[in-house]
Amino acid sequence: MHILVVEDEQKMAQALHDGLEADGYSVRVAYTGEEGFYLIQAQPFDLAVLDVMLPGHDGFEILSTLRRRGIKTPVLLLTSKDTVEDRVRGLDTGADDYLVKPFAFPELLARIRVLLRRGKPYLEECHKLADLEMHLADRLVTRAGQRLELTQREFELLQYLFANSGRVVSREMLARDVWKETARQTPLDNVIDAQMVRLRRKIDGQFERKLLHTVRGVGFMLREEVDS
Amino acid sequence: MRLRPTHLRSRLTLWYVSVFAALLILAWVGTCALLFWQLRNQLDHFAIEEIETVEGLFYFDPGGHLRVREDYHNHPNSKDVIERFLEVRGPGGTVLFRNERLGNRALGGVPFAGEGVGGYSPRSARLSDGTRVRLVSRMHTLDGRTLLIRLAHSEEPLYSRMKDLLLASLLVLPAILLIAFGAGYGLARRALDPIQQMAHRAQEITPENLHARLPNDDADDELGQLARVFNQTLARLERAFEQLRRFTSDASHELRTPLAMIRSVGEVGLQKDGTRAEYRDIVGSMLEEVNRLTSLIDSLLTISRADAGHIQLHRSLVAVTDLTREAAGLFEILLEEKSLRIMVEGDQCAQVDGDHLFLRQALVNVIHNAVKYSPVGGTISVRVFLEHGDRAVIEVSDDGPGIPVEDQAKVFDRFYRVDKARWRESGGTGLGLSIVKWAVEAHGGNVALDSNANGGCKVSISLPAAGPRQLRKNHSSVLAETGSPSG
Repeated sequence: MHILVVEDEQKMAQALHDGLEADGYSVRVAYTGEEGFYLIQAQPFDLAVLDVMLPGHDGFEILSTLRRRGIKTPVLLLTSKDTVEDRVRGLDTGADDYLVKPFAFPELLARIRVLLRRGKPYLEECHKLADLEMHLADRLVTRAGQRLELTQREFELLQYLFANSGRVVSREMLARDVWKETARQTPLDNVIDAQMVRLRRKIDGQFERKLLHTVRGVGFMLREEVDS
Repeated sequence: MRLRPTHLRSRLTLWYVSVFAALLILAWVGTCALLFWQLRNQLDHFAIEEIETVEGLFYFDPGGHLRVREDYHNHPNSKDVIERFLEVRGPGGTVLFRNERLGNRALGGVPFAGEGVGGYSPRSARLSDGTRVRLVSRMHTLDGRTLLIRLAHSEEPLYSRMKDLLLASLLVLPAILLIAFGAGYGLARRALDPIQQMAHRAQEITPENLHARLPNDDADDELGQLARVFNQTLARLERAFEQLRRFTSDASHELRTPLAMIRSVGEVGLQKDGTRAEYRDIVGSMLEEVNRLTSLIDSLLTISRADAGHIQLHRSLVAVTDLTREAAGLFEILLEEKSLRIMVEGDQCAQVDGDHLFLRQALVNVIHNAVKYSPVGGTISVRVFLEHGDRAVIEVSDDGPGIPVEDQAKVFDRFYRVDKARWRESGGTGLGLSIVKWAVEAHGGNVALDSNANGGCKVSISLPAAGPRQLRKNHSSVLAETGSPSG
């Protein structure tokens, strides 16, 4: 999967490059809008991450020119403005998604996954990690063959963690996707943490091998082993 | 003075002089017209008297010629006799007589039907040489013959008198207008001087000396009122400015704190070599501060947008009790963790016309506060009811430590925190209640806090109620009871 990153801030561009490569993508960085525009026309990319605030031609201009020329590469806009008008403008110009800086990196990865998967619905009937199994149709969760009693919320939470298995999910992602909370300022962090504690107690409580991990400062991750 | 006066003073004067001139000319023209009409009436009257006298003085001489006896007047050359024009016509319009002064000139042309019958038909006419005359007619029968007697006086003296009057007025009017202009200008200047002074003073007021006020000598007149209103505005402005200044300094302090921690943690972390786990911990700790910083900036943005009036409410009918229950439900897990009981009882009919998202945010913030400050095993009670039928009131009470009286007024201020030492653990930004206050007030409601020394704290949100009142029921029932430990 080839991803083009158009970002003029050196550090940000580097971080995006490293982070996306670490997630298994091949990444090309352009530091100006013109360069990005040239690259996207010269070679096919599966997705472009486009900063809005660029010197010279800004992201909106480049995006609208691309769309006018019939280039349909999915575009994810990055911006530090988060007014509704900006959001609407971005999506109207032809952006496929819109992320406000500062964002959580796992969130960027999740959004990129969604964009790349678009059109190919991805529904799994069954999740499995080590000896933890989740059967969606029967609403059944087992660990080492032993049935776990989960509440509705815990079930949804585990399902979301499974869908992002091996990757970090941030509290923001959980608030939006599991709690369906639209306002950013809703004080849900304590709620999410408490819910996580409970889920962990049920999943990992009596087992030697821990599967649900907290990544300090970032979020949570469902993973078989952790490096450190 | 310029052609298009920009000064109010000149404009006022111009208006004043114009109106004055128009009125003056109107009065003058009216007077002249009245005078003219009266003089002419007099002329008619005079002519009628004369024609009545003269009709008895006609006789036919033996030759059948019509004559007029001049011996009636004791002075044969009396002015009246000399100045009048006299013409007599017979049936069919044949001229029977013209006096000496009239000579060969015709007086009034061919007789018209009904002329001189029953009245005197007073009218204006011109002689063949252009002389304007005022003419009366009289039908008279003499020796069995019908005579039409016409008698006229020249109107020329009348017109010349009017002309004199007009000339005089042309000389006098400009003089009067000049005086009026001077007086008007002086008056306008006097009236507007205080305004100019105020303008000068107002110009000197800058953000640095917002405490300055306008002079207000006579508080009861219009200018005094203007000054007072202006001063009130200045006072509001000063307060707003002061608030902004405090907010800016508070905000920069709040932003600096997490930044300082990020910096110290990073710097200290780099001072010595550590294990991978130690580095992860350091980065994680820095990221925690970043998250705090992000949510702080989000809240600040909301507040500044609200302050600037850029937030639009998307109103719809909101069932308050349901919304409250929903907001309380969000904290179910925290309630269970702290063994708190939350009682939501409410009037199902309480509805408001409001923005679902912001009202929910307000309720969530208030309930979250109650959850944070309640002791383990405590009870939070939420009551929703209609007051006077037109206010929907939401009361959230907890049995926490309460808030000192001296701080109660400040809890809705930005960045105010009751527990200054412990707030970081509870993870608030210090902006929650000020967002509540904004959201409630944006809906035309108000929020109050009540707390007593024994502890416990009650936040009341009162909103204008919407929806049909007749559906209102006075009994409230326990609609929800969540949070009692279930497992």
